[in-house]
Amino acid sequence: MPSNVLIVDDHPGFRASARRLLASHGYEIVGEAASGKEALEAVRSLEPQLVLLDVGLPDADGIELARALSERHPEARVVVVSSRDREEVEPLLDGAGAAGFIPKAELSASALRDLLD
Amino acid sequence: MGDGFRDEARESAARLRATLDAALDAVITMDHEGRVVDFNPAAERIFGYSFDEVVGREMAELIVPPSLRERHRSGLARYLDERASEVLGRRIEIIGMRRDGSEFPVELTITRIPIEGPPLFTGHLRDITERLEMIDDLRASRARLVAAADAARRRLERDLHDGAQQRLVATALDLRLAREELEAGEPERAGELLAAVEDELMKATAELRELARGLHPAVLTRHGLALAVKTLAGRAPFPVEVSVDAGSRLPQPIEAAVYFVVAEALTNAARHAEASSAEIRILADGNDVAVAVSDDGRGGAELNGGSGLAGLRDRVAALGGEFGLTSEAGTGTEVRARLRNGADADGRGA
Repeated sequence: MPSNVLIVDDHPGFRASARRLLASHGYEIVGEAASGKEALEAVRSLEPQLVLLDVGLPDADGIELARALSERHPEARVVVVSSRDREEVEPLLDGAGAAGFIPKAELSASALRDLLD
Repeated sequence: MGDGFRDEARESAARLRATLDAALDAVITMDHEGRVVDFNPAAERIFGYSFDEVVGREMAELIVPPSLRERHRSGLARYLDERASEVLGRRIEIIGMRRDGSEFPVELTITRIPIEGPPLFTGHLRDITERLEMIDDLRASRARLVAAADAARRRLERDLHDGAQQRLVATALDLRLAREELEAGEPERAGELLAAVEDELMKATAELRELARGLHPAVLTRHGLALAVKTLAGRAPFPVEVSVDAGSRLPQPIEAAVYFVVAEALTNAARHAEASSAEIRILADGNDVAVAVSDDGRGGAELNGGSGLAGLRDRVAALGGEFGLTSEAGTGTEVRARLRNGADADGRGA
């Protein structure tokens, strides 16, 4: 079970809530990033085992970023999140190399466990 | 008896002549060889030739653009041959040519004069340059209105998504965590989370309220223009003098238009003009409403394609009103609109 997490989202409110949630379930938050550029930097330097990645970043297409991460850093598992719903996002994930998708409002430790096991 | 008939005939001919002379449309008569037989004063004015210069000459050389002459000549030949024509008896839009060679759009009808012998043709022509320009302007204005509405929708979607929606998502996560903390016997941590949730919900509510106000302010619908405008003035970052003289309520689209003129003008004054004060004057007398918003900022505002002011001009024009902007650099800005109750997009009615 991956335990080092990088949280990537341009909304500080979500980053804080996700951090609180994951930390209370034993995950270690090794860093946060608010843009695609910051995310690539952080994955390179912090080597997280899990990347929580928001689809809607200001400077990048989250799906493309997921693909880039799974190619360059295959050891980091990517879970895509979004406030858009499953119907909209899941079809886009084909071949992007992400472990899966969780709607933001449904983020929980058990949802993550289900995806990553 | 003979004299009586001749006098009547002469009077009748004189009347017909006078009718042609007075017509605003060019009336040109052409014989079966394509030569000008008659050319009324309007034709002289529109095409720039005098009657003497054209009579007996081939019409195609005089008023048909070079690129269209062969089509004209073969059309005439075909008619003489087959007695069939695509152009007789209907209105067509075509290009004409003036004496100086300049070309312009023309609306034309050609009829054959039913006399015995070789055919004569009469054309009635009018210069439709202005009409086509107006149609183009109208089309462009409509396209801009649609584009503005689409852009406003996209902005709304983005504002909702980035603002209230995100906050509510974070709230859901925090509530879940608060529940887990309670179940784990940590009421203090739960309490902290609930405080954070309260804060997020207040902010989300405030944002939604702002969005709703931007869409259509409730105060305008419920209480009318005077109060809505005073509220706008109160929210400006500088003192705004307001004078509203409006008796009864006006139709909703007109009140909305005036409201958005004021809102946009004040926004520009604060954001772009760096104004330190503004004045709003509204005068409505049941049939007409006139609004003027002036600020003491640095002027230089322009009515270009996608600007908020251009959107206002389009909105006001769509309601049959008039829009005005005075904004010399360095001397402040005045935005004006006048709307008539019941006027439609062509300014008719009421």
